[in-house]
Amino acid sequence: MANGVWRLGRGRGSTQLPLALAAVFAVALLLLGRAQPVLFDRARAAVTDKMSPILRIVRTPVDATSRWIAGIGDFFHVYQENARLKAQNARLRQWQTAATLMDERVKRYQLLLHAVPDPALSSIVARVIGRASHPFDQTIVLDAGKRNGVKPGQAVVDGHGMIGRIFLAGDHTSWVVLITDLNSRIPVTIKPGNTQAILAGDNSPTPNLENFSQTAVLKAGDTIVTSGDGGFLPAGLSLGTLLKTGGGLKVYLLADPQNVDDVEVLDYKAPIEALPAPSVNDLPAAAAGLPPAPPPQQQQTVAPPRVVGLPTSKTQPTGAGAPPAPKSEPKMPADDQTPGDTSQDQDR
Amino acid sequence: MERTVNMTGFLSSTIPVGMGVLGILIANFPVSLLAGAVPPPLFVLMPIYFWTLVRPDLMRPSSVFFLGVLQDFLSGGGATMGVWTIAFVATYAAVDRGRDAFAGLGGLLAILGFATAAFVACGTAYLVVTFLAWRIVSVVPLATELAMTILFYMPIVLLLGAIHRRFVGPLRREF
Repeated sequence: MANGVWRLGRGRGSTQLPLALAAVFAVALLLLGRAQPVLFDRARAAVTDKMSPILRIVRTPVDATSRWIAGIGDFFHVYQENARLKAQNARLRQWQTAATLMDERVKRYQLLLHAVPDPALSSIVARVIGRASHPFDQTIVLDAGKRNGVKPGQAVVDGHGMIGRIFLAGDHTSWVVLITDLNSRIPVTIKPGNTQAILAGDNSPTPNLENFSQTAVLKAGDTIVTSGDGGFLPAGLSLGTLLKTGGGLKVYLLADPQNVDDVEVLDYKAPIEALPAPSVNDLPAAAAGLPPAPPPQQQQTVAPPRVVGLPTSKTQPTGAGAPPAPKSEPKMPADDQTPGDTSQDQDR
Repeated sequence: MERTVNMTGFLSSTIPVGMGVLGILIANFPVSLLAGAVPPPLFVLMPIYFWTLVRPDLMRPSSVFFLGVLQDFLSGGGATMGVWTIAFVATYAAVDRGRDAFAGLGGLLAILGFATAAFVACGTAYLVVTFLAWRIVSVVPLATELAMTILFYMPIVLLLGAIHRRFVGPLRREF
């Protein structure tokens, strides 16, 4: 179109060398991005933090327009939609009653069996202020960041199920990588049967199921929930239902990550228990009624390797013959602390 | 007088790259009227293609590299850094090599020429991402972006042509 209208400018010399240099630098950039992605991600988070007031302002009219455009077609189906919602509401009330009864029964069984209850989850409600829907990157931006308690790795859910995980947290904003994104991998359980698998995004609306047992019997409609493996995500978060396609197993997601407005960021911490420091009486020699072993010579003292998970005492031995005693007795759990409750150990 | 000429020359040289930067900012602003239902067009590819054909001295490989880095930084972050840079450099090489053929196209064939360049860019990006992920990636989002880019080229090329006629062309003596 335009090409025949304007005269072509003269090229200034050969572009071969600059082009070759640009190609080399581009490949180097690709390798650097793979080796040190955090460098670029931090800079991106900083830019988003600065942009967050603009995003909030722009988002409001755009949201209104978007809803208006999406709602045009709804005018023609108001009556049918109303009837469908009434029927659905009646069904959901029945399910609510059943769920309440089941919940009470489960709690009763847990008390009878002295079962360890699931760790309590706290959450942060955040608003979506930006969406990046690119072919190789499906992310959303939330208006909550580190100052609100958001940390990378936390699960992000809406009313229907999980939509993604925090991968980058700035001071006031955070980026969520959606479960449909190419880089998303989530350990899941397929129910019934408790088959373990990995939910892998491929930039399509229906992510793939990978790494499941080949002997597992799976059928379309099976429920997919998070398995909690790895301790990063709570177990049992709803994800979707199983779809069988010609190309393999896919998951039809319950949530619609592209159209979500308000989300919850789950603050989940795997209940990893730190062992108390042993007292002198707990040592095998003392327990066996033997005198404590003589201390090693000062010149031959070698610092013991640090044991991960055991708190190290900074107290120096008071005498040459004294074994390293703990500063205080092991703290017993409080009477009102329930099993699995780690609220009193937050500062560990 | 000499100083004025230098200033106007500098301004003329920044307009093509400036249009590319503007295209990147628009496409990567994380707010979408369609709620992310379709990917934004590759606006940056349009000035790259246009000025590579019309005035390659104003759209050099270094400019294309810079635009690619900016696109990568704003569109994907660390994980896919370099993907669009490689794609744009490859497209520039293809268009520069076949410049005589591309420049001779008019009417609908000119759009077909741009579609070929956009296909080279998207195809290169797809191959790089597939290689990095080491598995088959869904081609649907990229195909949608390619379609959107070609669709938007038609009105945008008129705008680029007007800008070129009004600002870029007259500012250069040697043109």
